Amino acid sequence: MSERRNLQGNQACALGAIKAGCRFFAGYPITPSSEVAEAMARELPKVGGTFIQMEDEIASMGAVVGASMGGVKSMTATSGPGFSLKQENLGYACGAEVPCVIVNVMRGGPSTGMPTRPSQGDIMQARWGTHGDHAIIVLAPASVAEAYSETIRAVNMSERLRVPVVVLLDEVIGHLVETVDLDDVPEGAEVWRKWAEGPAEHFEPYAVTEDMVPPMPYPGDGYRTHTTGLTHSPSGFPTQNPALAEAAVMRTTDKLVHHRKEIESYRTQDVEDADFLIVAVGISARAARQSVRDLRSQGIKAGLFRPVTLWPFPEEALRETVKTSGAKTVIVPEMNQGQLVLEVERLLAGQVAIERINRIDGEAITPDDISAKAREVAS
Amino acid sequence: MKDHLNENEFNINEYIRLDQMPHFLCPGCGHGIALRALLWAVHQLGIDKDKLAIVSGIGCSGRLSAYVDANTYHTTHGRPLAYATGLALARPDLNVIVISGDGDCLAIGGNHLIHACRRNLNMTCMMLNNEIYGMTGGQVSPTTSGDRYTTTTPAGNTEPVFDACALATAAGASFVGREVTMQIIALRDMFKKALVHNGFSFVEVISDCTEIYGRKNDLGASPEMMMSQKSTMRPFAYRNTVDVPFRPNAMKTGVLTEVDRPEYGNAYREMTAGLRGEKGGT
Amino acid sequence: MDSLNIRFSGSGGQGLILAARILASALVSEGRNVAQSQSYEPVSRGGLSRSDLVVSDGEADYPLSQSLDYLLILHEAAATESSGLLDEKSVILVDADQVKSQPAAPLNVVSLPFVETARRLGNKRVANIVALGALAQAGSLCDEAALEKSLQAMTPAKFSTLNMEAFQAGRQLMAG
Repeated sequence: MSERRNLQGNQACALGAIKAGCRFFAGYPITPSSEVAEAMARELPKVGGTFIQMEDEIASMGAVVGASMGGVKSMTATSGPGFSLKQENLGYACGAEVPCVIVNVMRGGPSTGMPTRPSQGDIMQARWGTHGDHAIIVLAPASVAEAYSETIRAVNMSERLRVPVVVLLDEVIGHLVETVDLDDVPEGAEVWRKWAEGPAEHFEPYAVTEDMVPPMPYPGDGYRTHTTGLTHSPSGFPTQNPALAEAAVMRTTDKLVHHRKEIESYRTQDVEDADFLIVAVGISARAARQSVRDLRSQGIKAGLFRPVTLWPFPEEALRETVKTSGAKTVIVPEMNQGQLVLEVERLLAGQVAIERINRIDGEAITPDDISAKAREVAS
Repeated sequence: MKDHLNENEFNINEYIRLDQMPHFLCPGCGHGIALRALLWAVHQLGIDKDKLAIVSGIGCSGRLSAYVDANTYHTTHGRPLAYATGLALARPDLNVIVISGDGDCLAIGGNHLIHACRRNLNMTCMMLNNEIYGMTGGQVSPTTSGDRYTTTTPAGNTEPVFDACALATAAGASFVGREVTMQIIALRDMFKKALVHNGFSFVEVISDCTEIYGRKNDLGASPEMMMSQKSTMRPFAYRNTVDVPFRPNAMKTGVLTEVDRPEYGNAYREMTAGLRGEKGGT
Repeated sequence: MDSLNIRFSGSGGQGLILAARILASALVSEGRNVAQSQSYEPVSRGGLSRSDLVVSDGEADYPLSQSLDYLLILHEAAATESSGLLDEKSVILVDADQVKSQPAAPLNVVSLPFVETARRLGNKRVANIVALGALAQAGSLCDEAALEKSLQAMTPAKFSTLNMEAFQAGRQLMAG
């Protein structure tokens, strides 16, 4: 039976994760993400899962990777400063290809900043926060319903591709309560990582497979493999052989290129004939959504391109949208000094005029902020 | 006594990855002896290698996990206890052993150690104490003895040391012990107790770093270092019979703490059992 | 898409977020969509606190208030912070005693003793429910039975009678 209810974005992440089979959560209190941990503490025991509040952010990320290596779907949640502390062990998960999901609810920064005020200042931290060359997926929900469905997708992609997935909310979406019907989300099949099968002898845990995702041994199944943060050969053991080292890093990054189609996700609104294309995520995209309607009612042809998968950025889709719409101007509203716009510039510099709208005052970008910029450019 | 070293009783080759040999430890390093004692205990207890998980951090101690024929995880610096906490909670059917060092466990990982002790989740932590950061070339550690030279204490060390076992006991570890590598039989037997103990077991092994620490401080080669450790350590069991003044530098060895306390994993599962099957909410 | 924008504002600990949740729940039971946001200073008690409802049919484009149809002010801390979102059509309910800087004409201001009424009922902590009753009366925002049902469902049973009294007292205050 369909059940409409009011649900908070952070809590929707928790319910989405559980729906997707997440059974382990380790966290540490931090505003504005603590409701994810609190919901997991209540909900996980109901499905036989385990919640633990660790001694710090670093430990909670370590525990999540440890539980996942044990074969259990695992998640943590945090905000900017805590996300920074998690980057070390997130790098390990990238290198060792351990599935895990990290919810990061962005607040004003740097440092303690404005813990209760929204921001989108971690767009680049989510992509490049950890050290070294690495592959990572970042999803940016723009509503409570999407916080639920995208966390499900995060768990599933993390499992299928053996890659950490970050669910990147801003504080507005994290704390926003919206009316949702969770039954509206299509009942997808539960996704698990590919488990190692066949003889244990000569099994190579990081063998190159056709889909570039190596099957993962389940501890107890007799494979007795080695997992390390050191650069490793297909055997799982450390190597400094230049060819093997390069191949090891290349496979983890090429893996996402290979699976780009299933990773990428974006939404558009009124882009077919748009003169002005707005590119935005999270609450800024919600502002854009209304701005597009307002501008259209005033005769200004605006449209919205919203990456749902933020990283890897849906670059072909954006290029194609600009081309088919014939947009001359792209506006990038974001609650930081300009991070998303760097990617847009990388893709579109020289082809369209690129306008920035930035707020770092702890207030959300409003539809009027965007409409005013569009009118200014139009005049 | 002879049977203790009987290769027919314990063949270490059944517990290590021979294809990973030669190992990278320096000649004279005590870590190999500690690993042998640990695996000997695993053997005598009949622990299934498929259900054995070895989690290590970074440093010389961290490299040991790669040599054990088990499910092995070489994690990040200072964090093996955090990884092991997730692993042991998610998989209570596994036997989880953490291998750490004095820098890994007491410096960068100190917070994880005290909370692992407090929590009392079932696992065994072997901390190899060689008083030095060996892998990075010989920097001072939280257990470097007074006046000793390291690459970051060129005029000698002035920092006081951590007594790891006192720390673990104070933080609530329910099994705590210390032994020197020279006493391999005692060490093996201590590991056996630690492994069967239901809760968090902490074992400090006094190891030796001959190549870097020993050489820099003119402590002799491995035999001299090991003999000196043996003579300066005071078995806990002798506390009423040996006059302390004869052993002025003595740190206690032996099983120092052994108490019954609720194991965290069981306690959590019991505490939350009533919620199981309840309808989801939030 | 026309939306209805309602703000509950005051000081942390006054139960404003709960009052907003009760109204939101009643509105949802009537088929409306609600986006509820809150803003608070990083302390649990004291400090400015507010909760907004954006009520719409279907998911709101922008879930935050850009103007207010109804504004409740229960504490001096919140007296002026919403002034930029008001116009002559806005209905403003202000606590007569708690708010020194009362908004004035041409704004449509109703000044009532919510906290004092709650105190008279025996517990000033139900001032939020008194105010909710007044707001419901002022705006005919949703079906009374639906609102009472949400009130009962979302507050502790042992305070059920007190809360119902507070709710009715608020209605009567507004009805004058």
